[in-house]
Amino acid sequence: MTDCGCDKAKEELEEFLHNELSAEQCSDIREHLANCDDCSAEHLVGITLTTKVKEACQEKAPDELRDLILGSIERLDAR
Amino acid sequence: MATLLLDRRAPTASEPSQAPSLDSRLMTDTTPPEAAQAAADELAERRRLFQEQALPFMDQLYGAAMRMTKNPADAADLVQETFVKAFAAFAQFEQGTNLKAWLYRILTNTFINVYRKKQRDPYQGTIDELEDWQLGGAESATSTSTRSAEAEAIDRMPASAVKDALQSIPEDFRLAVYFADVEGFAYQEIADIMKTPVGTVMSRLHRGRRLLRELLADYARERGMTAAAPATTTKGSTR
Repeated sequence: MTDCGCDKAKEELEEFLHNELSAEQCSDIREHLANCDDCSAEHLVGITLTTKVKEACQEKAPDELRDLILGSIERLDAR
Repeated sequence: MATLLLDRRAPTASEPSQAPSLDSRLMTDTTPPEAAQAAADELAERRRLFQEQALPFMDQLYGAAMRMTKNPADAADLVQETFVKAFAAFAQFEQGTNLKAWLYRILTNTFINVYRKKQRDPYQGTIDELEDWQLGGAESATSTSTRSAEAEAIDRMPASAVKDALQSIPEDFRLAVYFADVEGFAYQEIADIMKTPVGTVMSRLHRGRRLLRELLADYARERGMTAAAPATTTKGSTR
């Protein structure tokens, strides 16, 4: 486990955010984030962006859609 | 038990020429009532399983369809078409594998083949080749305090502003961001859904998120939301 430094951290922060790094790479980045305010702030922007996008995109399908789908599937069977 | 039923596909009206050899010795010219009943039971079982497993993804697929088509009527049509295609192919779906990713593949294919053609996006086909400067929003060297203010501004942003920003970035970037950040798909799964190499997924994701960040920063600047020191904003949170 070693601090990976700013350049590598900045490069890999997005993959870190999306859980795409190996356990070892993750611990290197975590160690760096613990010691670097700048990269921590950058990571916080990344997390906030993901959270906001996720919240904003929650949708509820129109009530009648379920029945429309079920109706289509019934007709498909009956062919 | 259900999977056993699914593996053995019933002869349906859509494949009339296929006479299973196993059944042929039992069958005369007219299908015996027992066989017809078995086929009907199997279809009923498949429909039940589909309703139970696939239909719960309806709201999620509708959310994705909204980001793709940008309007509720087309989104509803796209989701309906996706489920009809998925049901028609459900006998081939391998139980125990990722149903959500499978449904998203069908959704994305249907969107690309049917809806994208109508929409005429001028960027299509070339967006991945554009240089960063052509996309705007170059990475700027900002200070830690500016980043903290940025995170705070994004956090206070109304959902409508976030949606508008997402809607305005190029489609391939938007979908990559949607699949990763909203649906939580792994890069490899996104690559399968979008039929593109993982490297392209990473690039689309990175560029999409950066454009989004720029747009949200613009929005915050226009509304005077930026650089407000946390301690000074004591007003009640109005959303």
